[in-house]
Amino acid sequence: MSEHPENSIREAWILFMVLGMCMINFPFIHIFAGAQKLFGVPQLVLYFMIGWPASIVVIWLFVRALDRTAGTTGEPSDSSET
Amino acid sequence: MPVISAATILSVSLAYFALIFTIAHYAEKRRAAGRSLLANPHIYCLSLAVYCTSWTFYGSVGLAATSGLEFLPIYLGPTLIAFGWWFLLRKMVRISKEQKITSLADFLSSRYDRSAILAAIVTLFAVFGITPYIALQLKAIATTLDLIYLPELSPEDLPLVNGLPFQPDTALVVALLLVLFGILFGARHLDSSERHEGLVVAVAFESLVKLVAFLAVGIFVTWGLFDGVADIFQRFYASLPQHADLFALGTERTSYAKWFTLIILSMAAVMFLPRQFHIMVTENPDESHIKKAMWQFPTYLFLINIFVIPIALAGLLVNQGDATGADYFLLTLPLNAGQPWLALLVFLGGLSAAAGMVMVSSVTLATMVLNHLVMPIILKLQLETRDMSGILIAIKRLGILGVVLLGYVYYIAIGDSYALVNIGMISFMAAAQFAPAMIGALYWRRANKHAAICSVSSGFLVWFYTLLIPAFVRSGWLDSDLLVAGPFGMALLKPLELFGLQGFDMYSHALFWSLLFNLGSYLAVSLLTGQSRSEKSRARKFVEVFSDQVGQKEQLTRISKAPTVLEFTELMSKFIGEKQAHSAISEFLADHEIDQRGSLSDQEIPQLKGFTEKTLAGYVGAAPARIIIENYLAARGSEMEDVFDIFGTVTISGAASREHLSVLYDVSQIVSSSDHFQKKLDRILDLLAQQFKFDLCVIRFIEQKSKTLLVKSLVGETLKHFGQSERNLNTETYIGQAFLTNTTTIVNDTDELEKPASEAIIREEGITCFAHTPITQDGDTIGVLSAFSRSGKGVFTTEFIALLENVAGQVGIAWRNEQQLSRLLEVREQERELQIAKDIQMALLPAPLPPMQQIDIAGLCVPAHQVGGDYYDFILRNDTCCDLIIADVSGHSIGSALIMAETRTFIHSSLLTLSEPADMLQALNAFFLKDLDRSDLFVTMFYLQYDMDSRRLIYGNAGHNMPLVWRRKTQSVEMLDAEGLIFGVKKSIIFEQKVTTLEPGDLLLLYTDGIIEAEDNNQNQFGYKRLANLIKEGQNATPAALIDQILSQVRLFTGYRHFIDDVTLVVMKVLE
Repeated sequence: MSEHPENSIREAWILFMVLGMCMINFPFIHIFAGAQKLFGVPQLVLYFMIGWPASIVVIWLFVRALDRTAGTTGEPSDSSET
Repeated sequence: MPVISAATILSVSLAYFALIFTIAHYAEKRRAAGRSLLANPHIYCLSLAVYCTSWTFYGSVGLAATSGLEFLPIYLGPTLIAFGWWFLLRKMVRISKEQKITSLADFLSSRYDRSAILAAIVTLFAVFGITPYIALQLKAIATTLDLIYLPELSPEDLPLVNGLPFQPDTALVVALLLVLFGILFGARHLDSSERHEGLVVAVAFESLVKLVAFLAVGIFVTWGLFDGVADIFQRFYASLPQHADLFALGTERTSYAKWFTLIILSMAAVMFLPRQFHIMVTENPDESHIKKAMWQFPTYLFLINIFVIPIALAGLLVNQGDATGADYFLLTLPLNAGQPWLALLVFLGGLSAAAGMVMVSSVTLATMVLNHLVMPIILKLQLETRDMSGILIAIKRLGILGVVLLGYVYYIAIGDSYALVNIGMISFMAAAQFAPAMIGALYWRRANKHAAICSVSSGFLVWFYTLLIPAFVRSGWLDSDLLVAGPFGMALLKPLELFGLQGFDMYSHALFWSLLFNLGSYLAVSLLTGQSRSEKSRARKFVEVFSDQVGQKEQLTRISKAPTVLEFTELMSKFIGEKQAHSAISEFLADHEIDQRGSLSDQEIPQLKGFTEKTLAGYVGAAPARIIIENYLAARGSEMEDVFDIFGTVTISGAASREHLSVLYDVSQIVSSSDHFQKKLDRILDLLAQQFKFDLCVIRFIEQKSKTLLVKSLVGETLKHFGQSERNLNTETYIGQAFLTNTTTIVNDTDELEKPASEAIIREEGITCFAHTPITQDGDTIGVLSAFSRSGKGVFTTEFIALLENVAGQVGIAWRNEQQLSRLLEVREQERELQIAKDIQMALLPAPLPPMQQIDIAGLCVPAHQVGGDYYDFILRNDTCCDLIIADVSGHSIGSALIMAETRTFIHSSLLTLSEPADMLQALNAFFLKDLDRSDLFVTMFYLQYDMDSRRLIYGNAGHNMPLVWRRKTQSVEMLDAEGLIFGVKKSIIFEQKVTTLEPGDLLLLYTDGIIEAEDNNQNQFGYKRLANLIKEGQNATPAALIDQILSQVRLFTGYRHFIDDVTLVVMKVLE
């Protein structure tokens, strides 16, 4: 592997953080801020109640990827963190 | 009529407390047995949920009922930041483990040069910021107890407190119970690095209870009272149309700015609230648990919020849209629905949420108060107690009591005046003020102590002004004019509209201003001020905690009058108790060898010092630990400060390499600068003395004649003895040994001198350690670089010697450059003089004659060097008679030139008295005899006299090359010769004088041996023949042109433009 796997995970992490920050803030959430409802529930409430667990799944996948890289390199590599 | 009897509530509550005590106790037992419950990552994850206090538990529903989704950012923020825990939190955990960090204040102080002031400020701020939060929890417990209990209940129904002379209020009783718990499981004894397993497990259990209680009510309300979530929403919109926009965002009630502010605040709070830091970082049992926590903690947050909206809407529906009691819908809904046991479960859940927070916060704050407020005072007073540990633990317990009681007082004084959520937000905002200094501590090496102090204190001040002052005003403590008109009527300073910033809610407003000042001062001060050496080292240990080099550090130094192992143990015992001290020291000694006398080697004593400081830091924090050690060593007279400073710079192999390089870089800059040599040496020594705090630095160079070392440069104070000492070279002295063996000689402790010859002067100068490093140049030792310290010992480590040798090498280069430069200057000076001589000599040669009818003469002299010994002349004696002279003084030196000048002077002054060539030659020989004999020079000369009327040529020769005559008539070349020896060989020589006649068109060519002896590549000489041919070819040319022709042909022949011998040619043509 040419690049250290944990570095690419770190990049992914930063991207997800930025993406997450955008997705729970104005103006993105303004899309759902209207009065429309889905199954009788305001769509903004649905957006958060579905988006939130979805983001937790993303973290879970992220952690799994971390475990995998730790598996390939033997030890959880600390040296990249400098 | 009480729904649940007082006895039931009390007994259930007490039983619940007992259960928690039991669980905590069990956890401690398990730990003692080596089967820690914390090995289970789920316990760590659950304990993190101490984030969810009663504010979450009750307040979220209240907020949802009044402000819709506004409760959500408080949980979305932590979910987002959990993404980064593997990098952010793990780094904090790793650092805290390595540095034995005890609290948030300790973390900041430890990073920023173990600053006691910073730690004190952070502690004060934390106490200010968190106390309202504790008040909030007490208020929640008291209110819910009242609710479940029915407020109209008479005090007689309280069996436990019956008969007491006063009526304690429920909040106080609960507070005291929590204090008891805090003391039992948070301050039973002084713990290393603040690990409290019982506390953590209890908190984890409480987290479980509050989640179960919340979910139970949620399920009951959603599917028991209503027909699912959709049903609740449907009925809500049908029967409460006035609340239709409850979930809208971007409204005045919940602006996007406020939404963003809440997310930022919650992200900061979950990381930097002191209790979060404590549970997440100091109590973390294993880094790998973070990975589980990254998704389990957000999942917990999601679950505990999943029913918030349904319950809030249900509460509104049940109360016909009235949100007054919304904060306690969670409790009132099951109560009103006739489910007292469910309500009791909710009450226990709320109790758990509050208790967990209060327990952890009080223990954390008490630790901070003890270590960073009380300890510095105790250390200042220097109490002479044998065992401090007892006092310390007592103070810590008092601290827990104090913090909780302070919360209680706050609750009594101000708590009722403010909605729950406001108090929580004020605390969150306080935590956010730590964020810049904390993030900078982890990722920015340049961030420094002053910046951190400015950052936290400015944030603190703005926080106080924009949030706490309004809170006081609303509680009626301060005049409301302050908010409306500003202090002293200054509208610009209105706490809620600072500097005229309007249109924001108070949190966004406070966050903006506090972070602006906080972050601004942090960045500005960091960039404008520097770091001390020790602070740089601390910064490295934090920012580069994952780099491999950090592990191996500060091993090589020495402490003078160092304490023994036993003394270090006694010092530790004093603060942490004998048992802990002994177990710590045995842990240390397991890895180190002790010699026969039971002591450690010089190198290991400093390690022991570091270990002692770290161990103490684990109990009392980094800043106090440093003060303890420093005071102790200072009291013993161990000159630790100096040693420490030097070793802080130069001995830590990894850390110092950069400083080494920078010193070497500076030295090389000095060497290559345009400074004078002496100044270079002085500057190098200045640099050494300043960077490494040497008292005296000397450079000596060998004086070849006397074979002594002479002081060339000296920096530092010395008795005059030193400056004068020109040391003889023998191995009796250290410097002599260094010079003669060409190796660095060091003495790290002058108490152990081996050479008596050096002893007197060392003693007289008060030197404690020194080093002599030879300065070499192309393998030859040319001098010695010496460094002396009067305060430190053991300064010269292997790494430092390497540095010193490198500097000595640079001095050698500077010396060589200096030598070359002076040689160059010398040569240049000579050249300048020679140029003058050349100009003079050229001026001595004759100027071209005015055009004449009978003859045309030209001459040229090309010296091989600046000055030469060739000479030619043509002198008009009268209108018809012309003397022609060509001479060659052997050599091309100044001496030759002087003789040549002498020759000319003699001839010119003798023209009147000596009229014939032979007489002139005779006189010259007599004149030169003495001079030439002394100078090993000799002179050859051909002297001719031409009479233009008769065309007669009279000539005499003093050993010179025979001139050539071109006879046009016969088209042949003839050589002129006459008997005669070179000058200066014999006293009296008879010079033959001959006569010949020239015809018009004839050419006379005089030359020196530079022409005919010019050689080509094969060492063939130019010779007469070639010269004769050239005359023949150029017979019709003018004399000047002929000379040019001959010179170019000779150059062509040799292949060089430059002649190796002086070349002189004179040509005379007889005109028609």
